[in-house]
Amino acid sequence: MGIIIASTLSANPASAAPTAYPLTLNNCGVDVTFEKAPERAIALGQNSAEIMLLLGLENHMAGTAFWPSRVLPELAKANEQVKLLSVESPSLEAILTERPDFVAAQLLNLLGPESKIAKREDFANLGIPSYVSPGVCATNHDSGDVHGARTDLWNMDLLYQEITELSQIFDVADRGQQVIADFKAREAALRQRVSGESQDLSIVFWFSSPSPADDAYLGGKNGASGFIADLLGGHNVMQTDVEWPTVSWEGIIATNPGVIVIAELDRNRWELDKPEAKIAFLKSDPAVSQLEAVKNGYIVTMDGQAMNPTIRTIYGAEQVADQLEELGLFK
Amino acid sequence: MTIAAEGLTWKVGRTVIVDNVSLRAEPGKMLGLLGPNGSGKSSLLRLLAGLRKANAGQVTLDGKDLRHIKRSAMARRVALVEQQSSTESNVRVREVVELGRIPHLPPLGGWTRADDAAVDAALERVGMTERGEQYWQSLSGGERQRVHIARALAQTPSELLLDEPTNHLDIQHQIELLRLISDVSLTSIIALHDLNHAAMFCDHVLVMQKGRIVAHGAPEAVLTETLLSEVFRVQARVEPSPHHGKPHIHYLL
Amino acid sequence: MTALRQAVREQAGPGLLLLLSTVLLLLAVGAGTGIGEMAIPIDTTFFAVTNRLGWSAVDLDPIHQSVIWDYRLSRSLVAACCGAGLALCGAILQSLLRNALAEPYVLGVSAGASTGAVGIIVLGLGAGSITISAGAFVGAFASFAFVALLSNGARGGAGKTILAGVAASQLFNALTSYIVSTSANAQQARDVMFWLLGSFGGVRWSEFQLILVVVIIGFCVCIYFARALDAFAFGDDAAASLGIPVRTVRIVLFGVTALMTATIVSMVGSIGFVGLVVPHAARFIVGPSHERLLPTCVVGGGIFMVLADIVSRVVLPQQVLPIGVVTALVGVPFFSVILYRTERAR
Repeated sequence: MGIIIASTLSANPASAAPTAYPLTLNNCGVDVTFEKAPERAIALGQNSAEIMLLLGLENHMAGTAFWPSRVLPELAKANEQVKLLSVESPSLEAILTERPDFVAAQLLNLLGPESKIAKREDFANLGIPSYVSPGVCATNHDSGDVHGARTDLWNMDLLYQEITELSQIFDVADRGQQVIADFKAREAALRQRVSGESQDLSIVFWFSSPSPADDAYLGGKNGASGFIADLLGGHNVMQTDVEWPTVSWEGIIATNPGVIVIAELDRNRWELDKPEAKIAFLKSDPAVSQLEAVKNGYIVTMDGQAMNPTIRTIYGAEQVADQLEELGLFK
Repeated sequence: MTIAAEGLTWKVGRTVIVDNVSLRAEPGKMLGLLGPNGSGKSSLLRLLAGLRKANAGQVTLDGKDLRHIKRSAMARRVALVEQQSSTESNVRVREVVELGRIPHLPPLGGWTRADDAAVDAALERVGMTERGEQYWQSLSGGERQRVHIARALAQTPSELLLDEPTNHLDIQHQIELLRLISDVSLTSIIALHDLNHAAMFCDHVLVMQKGRIVAHGAPEAVLTETLLSEVFRVQARVEPSPHHGKPHIHYLL
Repeated sequence: MTALRQAVREQAGPGLLLLLSTVLLLLAVGAGTGIGEMAIPIDTTFFAVTNRLGWSAVDLDPIHQSVIWDYRLSRSLVAACCGAGLALCGAILQSLLRNALAEPYVLGVSAGASTGAVGIIVLGLGAGSITISAGAFVGAFASFAFVALLSNGARGGAGKTILAGVAASQLFNALTSYIVSTSANAQQARDVMFWLLGSFGGVRWSEFQLILVVVIIGFCVCIYFARALDAFAFGDDAAASLGIPVRTVRIVLFGVTALMTATIVSMVGSIGFVGLVVPHAARFIVGPSHERLLPTCVVGGGIFMVLADIVSRVVLPQQVLPIGVVTALVGVPFFSVILYRTERAR
């Protein structure tokens, strides 16, 4: 079957060979073996789920869990066909009830040695292979802690690795290459849009705050926000290595950002999760409203999920680019 | 031989609380510790019970220095009744008295009929035999003191130290308690405020002032009008009572 | 009456009581093994256990077998041990500190553990070689050492020790908040919050082995000092006059409770109310004598925690409710009933 798929897509220059089973991968230091393409996969974490949906695998998925935000609109229809175990962390029994033959996770606290839900051995003991996003095991060893400070600017490479590996596991390697090529093209297109620019936009990424008076959670220099800023030919105003710095508005004013990117969050935990509330604050606060960026209206709304190193990052970058163009900041 | 102290001094920080005190208790007799507030009576009692370490001098029990006597052995000989000892715990009377057997028991188990007998005897001595199952929290002040004495008696001590045990009692219970202690044939050292009670019940008295002993001997000899004036700062007349023959102090206004 | 009490004391009275409560505890653990989100028939549950014990070789669905043995049974046993340990520590601290509101975290152990955990989760201390649990354990002991220092060893007396514990809790909680607010991202803050709420989700058989050993050692030490603890009812001087080596006993017992609490907190996070409520319930049933109170706390705490864990696993579909929420929701009304009945009994 794999051979047939390969020949129909041979027009694609990035076509990849069908998977030869049994397939053994080394994932986060653990060797996992697949006898065949999984048919009842569980995706723990929105990003893992969305990657699988992008690869057209909804018929091979038995369930998903942990969705900090709404699914990408283009994947909504496919997602409806997959059972939602829980928007929050699921229980191990809920996962096993679906009789999975594969479990993929986005974060180590969903699946990992310190997880309160499941450890990889729980599944390995039942002959169920597991997979953890390479993006999270890399930070563990290289830059310190589980989600913490990055010393190098994040890029999409680890995401591409995840897409490649997942596509191999499900024997849709060519579809995987297509998705990656698509993202790379979009990345290149964004860089192209700003290539003529001489200005180096300084951008601050405001995720949210518990209240206007509280310090704001910002996107850090080396995380996904930094990547977006870099993609758009600018830089993140935050100079520390911390992935999610908490800064007072006084500190933010001091950086005098050229553009303020405000996050739109679905979760409804704080009033300021909503972009309207953020804009209202920016325009009404006596000190903040004096910022050049606010006075000129250089305020841009972006999907909050894009500030997490996921596939949403590219979508977020495009959102920002479109609005910057409308504001006339790109010529 | 019984409890004796030699040159006992105890300081807290730089304040001297007990100053060079020497005393000797007479076996089977009641020794009263008298003195105004802050004279060091309570602290002296605790030193004699081995609960505090003296800065100088020594306390001996039958000639042996307390420092060389094991704590549990000490507890089998000497029992202390405090001024006011309370608990939040919902214990029953009998359970409190049973605490007195702890020095005689191993850490786990080991309760024998002999222990039951000691507890029964102690309860009877203080007249609370039928009240064994009553909750401590439902007792009056006087009853609680009697239970404390029963606990001390359950230790089957040979020495009994009491720190102002009658302080919070009504007059009936004060007299009852003192009569009880004097009837029991243990060596007792009792700190008291009421000088007339001391005169009535104690065989010997020790008067303390600012940590020092200023007088000791039989009540008749010690409780003089001069002493009362100098140490206790009261004007009084002292004469033998026509009713019980012991000295009786008439306080003058 | 005296004859009856004598008979109870000298016969197997306490032994019989212990046997009965152990049976109840085993029943609770059995319920915890058989009840869960996945509908598994009782005979499967039974044979899953006997299969793994090597007493039978019935053919069973491997997923059912794994859920029963690797997950539910180990989890219930750990819950029982943690409940036992927390209740035991609560009882000891309530007696030593002569305070009815004392509970295992009063010496700042939980606050210290959370700082240790946060240090690993957020700051990445140890660069991946130290687990969160290990970090939490170190933090717990750092806090305990701080309290010991502040309260001047065990010389300080109950009041001073409690104040030192309050100070330590405030300090370490402030440290935790500082680390979270300056260095954590939203995901980490969430992780920390869930860690603090407590959960039995991450425990398997290795955790059971550790906690069982710790609780057994703790219990043996505490029961050895049962009489000494009774003596503390009227204060340190009263206890000393009964021949109790007050300072030694306090150091040993504080140390043992800190060890048990630190192990429990670093393993499953902070679970409240058990250490506070179960000793009061136990006292209500068997009275304040520690010889009876401590075993009752151990068994009662175990049963309570197992039942709370069952509730936390089945009350929400496909999710697990944080155990701390269940113990609070159950503990508070339970506590009120006890208080009311205690007042009436007086």
